[in-house]
Amino acid sequence: MTSLSGALAAATITPPHIEYGQLSPLLVVFGAAVAGVLVEAFVPRERRRAFHLVIALGGLVAAFALIISVAATPSLFAHGSPGHVVAMGAVGVDGPTLFIQGTIVVLAFVSVLLIAESSHGVSPFAAQAAAVPGSAEEREGLLRGISHTEVYPLTLFAVGGMMLFPAANDLLTMFVALEVLSLPLYLLCGLARRRRLISQEAAMKYFLLGAFSSAFFLFGVAMLYGYSGSVSLSAIAAAAATNVSSATLLYAGIALVGIGLLFKIGAVPFQSWKPDVYQGAPTAVTALMASCTVVSAFGGLLRVFYVAFGQLTWDWRPAMWGVAILTMLAGAIIAITQTDVKRMLAYSSIAHGGFVLTAVVAATAAGLSASLFYLAVYGLTTIGAFAVVTLVRDPAGEANHLSKWAGLGKRSPWLAGVFAFFLLAFAGIPLTSGFAGKFAVFQAAAAGGALPLVIIGVLASAVAAFFYVRVIVLMFFSDPAPDGPTVVTPGLFTGAAVAVGAAATLVFGIAPEPLLALASHAAAHLFVR
Amino acid sequence: MNAAHVLAASTVGAGAVVAFWILAVISVAAALGLVLAPRAVHGAVLLAVVMLSLAVLYGVAGAPFLAFVQIIVYTGAVLMLFLFVLMIVGVSAADSMRETIRGQRLAAGLAGIGLLVLLALVVGHAAIGPAAPAGSNYGVLNVQRLAQLIFTRYVFPFELTSALLITAALGAMVLAHRERTSPKPSQRDLARQRVRGDHPAPLPGPGVYARGDAADMPALLPDGTPSPLSLNPVMARRRGSAIRVPGPGVPAPLPPGEPGKDGGPDAEPDREGAHP
Repeated sequence: MTSLSGALAAATITPPHIEYGQLSPLLVVFGAAVAGVLVEAFVPRERRRAFHLVIALGGLVAAFALIISVAATPSLFAHGSPGHVVAMGAVGVDGPTLFIQGTIVVLAFVSVLLIAESSHGVSPFAAQAAAVPGSAEEREGLLRGISHTEVYPLTLFAVGGMMLFPAANDLLTMFVALEVLSLPLYLLCGLARRRRLISQEAAMKYFLLGAFSSAFFLFGVAMLYGYSGSVSLSAIAAAAATNVSSATLLYAGIALVGIGLLFKIGAVPFQSWKPDVYQGAPTAVTALMASCTVVSAFGGLLRVFYVAFGQLTWDWRPAMWGVAILTMLAGAIIAITQTDVKRMLAYSSIAHGGFVLTAVVAATAAGLSASLFYLAVYGLTTIGAFAVVTLVRDPAGEANHLSKWAGLGKRSPWLAGVFAFFLLAFAGIPLTSGFAGKFAVFQAAAAGGALPLVIIGVLASAVAAFFYVRVIVLMFFSDPAPDGPTVVTPGLFTGAAVAVGAAATLVFGIAPEPLLALASHAAAHLFVR
Repeated sequence: MNAAHVLAASTVGAGAVVAFWILAVISVAAALGLVLAPRAVHGAVLLAVVMLSLAVLYGVAGAPFLAFVQIIVYTGAVLMLFLFVLMIVGVSAADSMRETIRGQRLAAGLAGIGLLVLLALVVGHAAIGPAAPAGSNYGVLNVQRLAQLIFTRYVFPFELTSALLITAALGAMVLAHRERTSPKPSQRDLARQRVRGDHPAPLPGPGVYARGDAADMPALLPDGTPSPLSLNPVMARRRGSAIRVPGPGVPAPLPPGEPGKDGGPDAEPDREGAHP
């Protein structure tokens, strides 16, 4: 009898309805990634890079066009609706998500340019990742001038995961997206061509700590499921409004899911992976992580805390205050002691994560739009800065030690000038995009009642400005080291990346209004539930 | 009466409760042993015990699909993979218990116990409803209902895991597969190379001593100095000057092979030919 009713139940499944049009940006990126895998399988080695470039850059451009067309669909936001929930409730398509996805695609495009740079005959990636560092096989691979072209599909998979992460409307989809974005990054970190042991160490650390944080996230999801009986963000929010009987599960869930998300951002005290991974990974991958991953992780954090825990602001705000303060102060103070430019930028990225958290704490539409704006302009500046780092080289590879950067301004004033400009933007000097971003987040935080946080943020900015200016002084007012690095002429792709970063930093510094208006328009109705 | 007890009691009758308490003791004891066992193989066996008892618990709770997945995937596939890795690393390898950061173990232990107490309090204070509502997705209908969920409500994340699988396959290829950059030498080439080289006879094997015999122990020459030929060049380079020398009274550790140079093809005669 039961088996008969089981068969009947199975027969009455209605096929799921998938809105392919609204999911098309994601599907195009994943499709391009799969096409890249096929290129690896069927195209001869010499021609793979060209195929990959066309597929990767073309896929990202197409995804951007589709994001704009979805955002321009009048029916999506009709009657003041914040957006749609598509794919049987798995994905939310709304203003903030589309803004974040657009940002990620643009940043990924510039990152792919950096990844593809090989104008000096060397790609930044290992010839044979399977060859033991220092072995004869490795040397053979290097002499043959080959390199891994699998990095392109891996990058696209990571970008697809990053685009889905802030769009995920239930915690299960979010967890899958988290893994889809993390797994390729773990791999990419270990593929550096130079200093391979430190690169492999970075990949190992990132993998272990990332797996650990994923476990925290999953524990949190389990707690929230135990509390609300659902993994959907809106159902958790509904349960939080009515069910007060076992609130301890809810709080534990918030804490554990929050740990998983804050780890990806690199907020203190979950930041320990960041300097090591940023230092060890190939610089192009570091640029991808420092821009796209941070944007995506903030998107996921914003959605979870605004949608699922939106009515519990009073409960999570104190903890988020603490994390924001620690992140700003620790990031800015530890950065002073760094002697490696990539580690310094890593700590600076931690501090900037803290600045965005001040706007997250506000939990208002203004806070959301300020975060979106900050992430977009900060991402572009960061990619530009890392692109400059790839250009300062000595015979052993990139010269990352700050002592080697001494007197760079005298040797190549243009490059040092651009880097100084990026540093000033990080420091938040007026007429750079960094100032507009800091102003936006601090204004939103102050309006949201977090004035002490703003004061601490301004203090941390002052501390951060100290070490940025110190690097500028080092570059322009000290004598060049005799064995100093050479600055290679940027190839077309790196040059384009630096130019895009510098142009965006300048334009959004002088005229931030259009992007600010776009961000506040996108954030006006908050997230779809 | 704790939360887990509620879970077990509400679904089924007394037999399930008995099974729960027996398996709870076994699985927790095995999990503790897994953490505390210094030898990795013992840990793996205890992990199998934990997974099997969990599988039985799932089955008792009316989730046959999860029970079988637990056995087939975790006990069958994942654990076998662990054991393969252990066999490669060496079955007798034990963890080094030396602390590299002082006070780390104490701090980690305190933090872990703190988290455990916190989570136990959280779950203990929570009022968890009956685990299996009437007319439910458990028992006989479990598999069909799961299928229904996977192919309707959760079809998008389910399809998305394919991206994860492709990434994993690609990553395994990148990290483990090395393409040949030169044609594979034939047996004739190898034989010719050996006869023309300095050592037509096989190279000396590593040393075998009363207190150690391993591939990284150099053999001793008649005058008591270690023979560089008896070690694999990669291993000699890896261990550098910290090479293990058998027993006291043996002088002069091996000089590291090819210091500073990233090992050219000319570094050593082909060891593959020498040690068939």
